Amino acid sequence: MTTTEPTADKRGTTLINHWQCGVPVTQGPVLTPFLLLLIGIAALGLALAAIRFFSPLGPFSGMNDVYAWGIWKTFNVMTLTALGSGPLALGMAAWVFNRQKLHVVMRTALVSGFLFYATGLIALGFDVGRPWNFYSALMPWRWNSESAMLEISICMPLYCAVFLSFEILPLILERVYYTGNERARVILCRVAPMVRKAYPFVIVGAYVIPLMHQSSLGGLLLLAGTKMNPLWQSPVLPLLYLVAAALCGFAFTILLLMIVCLRYSRDLDAGILAELANLLSGVCFVFLAVRLSDLIWREQLRTAFAFDRMSLLFLVESGLILIPALALRFQRIRETPRALLNMSALACLGGMLYRFIPTSIAYMPARSTAYFPSAPELVMAAGYIALGSVAFVLVINYFAVLPGEASAWNHTFRPFGWPRKAAESSPVMPDATGVTLERGI
Amino acid sequence: MSVALRRRQAFKVMIGLGGTAASAMLPGPAQAERTAARSAESTTEEHPAHPVAPPDAIAMLYDNTICTGCKACMPACNEANSLPTDTLLSGGIWDMPLGLNAKTKNIVEPYQDPQTDEFAFVKKQCMHCLDPACVTGCLFGALVKQDLGAVTWNSSLCIGCRYCEVACPFEVPQFQWQNWNPKIVKCEFCYDQRLKEDLQPACTAACPTGTVIFGKRSDLLAQAKERISTAPDKYFEKRVYGEYEAGGTQVLYLSSVSLQKIGLPKLGSTSIGHYATKVTSVIYKWLVGPVVVAGIFGFFIRRNWDRHESERLEHEEKTGYPDQL
Ligand code: SF4
Ligand code: SF4
Repeated sequence: MTTTEPTADKRGTTLINHWQCGVPVTQGPVLTPFLLLLIGIAALGLALAAIRFFSPLGPFSGMNDVYAWGIWKTFNVMTLTALGSGPLALGMAAWVFNRQKLHVVMRTALVSGFLFYATGLIALGFDVGRPWNFYSALMPWRWNSESAMLEISICMPLYCAVFLSFEILPLILERVYYTGNERARVILCRVAPMVRKAYPFVIVGAYVIPLMHQSSLGGLLLLAGTKMNPLWQSPVLPLLYLVAAALCGFAFTILLLMIVCLRYSRDLDAGILAELANLLSGVCFVFLAVRLSDLIWREQLRTAFAFDRMSLLFLVESGLILIPALALRFQRIRETPRALLNMSALACLGGMLYRFIPTSIAYMPARSTAYFPSAPELVMAAGYIALGSVAFVLVINYFAVLPGEASAWNHTFRPFGWPRKAAESSPVMPDATGVTLERGI
Repeated sequence: MSVALRRRQAFKVMIGLGGTAASAMLPGPAQAERTAARSAESTTEEHPAHPVAPPDAIAMLYDNTICTGCKACMPACNEANSLPTDTLLSGGIWDMPLGLNAKTKNIVEPYQDPQTDEFAFVKKQCMHCLDPACVTGCLFGALVKQDLGAVTWNSSLCIGCRYCEVACPFEVPQFQWQNWNPKIVKCEFCYDQRLKEDLQPACTAACPTGTVIFGKRSDLLAQAKERISTAPDKYFEKRVYGEYEAGGTQVLYLSSVSLQKIGLPKLGSTSIGHYATKVTSVIYKWLVGPVVVAGIFGFFIRRNWDRHESERLEHEEKTGYPDQL
């Protein structure tokens, strides 16, 4: 990994430090009142989900036969897995396009992405009506290979459970290595080289598979045909959904990094954030270019600027993406923390809107029925999100996830009050003791 | 015919999954079937833009200039499908559904123009599309286009994702929201109950006026066109709804009033399955697209991985800090 040079602070703010590796949060209590609140929401949501499992869908949701998909699908899956595409977006940049700098923030993206996918899949599990029939997924002769739904329902769990988990594996092995006993270490010393060997091959799957299912999420909506507003219904939906996933992935990773750094008063790394911002602005322009050429090609430009309800929605959505695209072209803005935070939040919002609208607001079947999520539906959706947030806070506290200076990584830190015995023999920082560090994962 | 098609699709997936390695290890029969499948595919596209009805395709023709709104077909349908009556609106007395729903596979709806005294009836049920969007979307093939063209649902393959409801342009499939073991409720042309025993569907059998009749699609189409040519002014737009809609359907309509007013959507003549799969079917054919992308990614990732490794070792030597992935 390259060592990033400290960036000169041009704005007189806090942007000085450079990130070198993942470090856990070691200061402050973990169980803050806010976290307790989140745990409460998550518990409530999961309790409702558990009851829902023994009850028909009807009493739990406002869905009906016209709007057969509620927010569990349209928000928790369609929209939030776009935010969870950080590993895809950053990983592509880092591994395929050789942006070495970004490796240091990969873990943050990986953990958040994994949690978005995992909670999305939980949401799906409680949304489908006949989950017990899902065993057909193991029988390829039953697959309808032309169904985008099949692609999603096979690839998403596969990606989350196999490829994404494998990409995160070093994080966990490393934790075990530094906190476990001698036996665990001997085993890990044997396993680690194998993981390293397999890594470059396995992660190929971790980039190909999300490309497939993120575009298939858009492909799903092609079958909805004329039921969807022509501003959104288009043959390039799969491509746009994919670009929007990359857009949200970059934007959300910037947002998350900055929020977490603010929360735990850590230093920001201007170089890496600026690089991310640069990529984000590029992806925004690609998105807008594809969107615009699609509208021109389908001769819908007039509808787009008709200034009626749908056209205003379209303009808001595009504006939310255009502003950061333009603003982040300026180095000055990229390196001003507040502006960067605001711009990435706007981009996030724009990308999320694009992923949300086609299945909800722009989905207008002829039969006149309204859909608004019912209270249990909302609580469950919030519960899944809270669950992901709680898990994220715990993970960054107990695992070396967030980027920081290598010297800030204290291997002797004991999570969960694990016994101190191993800690004495565990390697400590070289500048503290002069002992050369043993290699972990 | 459709059974063979499904087998072939499944086979395609299996071959694609195993990838090139599997095909190298599986010579003989697999190879033969593969080439056979390919040659079959090059001749018959799975989702042509304008599907042609097979010669044995059956159909229903509904002519609302004859319909008296007696609704005899509705209890007949309920009986044939053992459906409960929907008595919510009538306080438990009559079967009074407001539209197709989890208890109603077939309904006659009245239409009256609020200004003029123009009125008409329309009978709604599954249209049994020639290239059904619901079948294209259903992931494990719970919905199948059977022989003769009936579109049926199989409870043991459905996961209840409700994609069929999103996909169907006529909003036909209905989901049992109040059932813990929910089923998809839709007209199946009485396939299991009656068609298999050479009986016509319950609704056409029950219709006392001959408004809705059963027969071969080609015959009914010809008959409908003849009715139009004998009395052209009687029929809206002088055309048969369902001849080309969404690639053509196996339920045909003749109407005296505007089709959109009675709730039949305005659709293009291209099959929706064709629109949705024309690009992806090329990319995913034999999984060639993903495999090629994986190859390209693999090349770059390997290269960058080697760079990463050498830099890691160098960095570790220089600073003593271990590197992380
Ligand atoms: S009308 Fe709807 S449910 Fe019936 S075959 Fe066509 S797409 Fe399927
Ligand atoms: S709800 Fe059932 S029948 Fe409808 S698409 Fe999903 S699996 Fe197929």
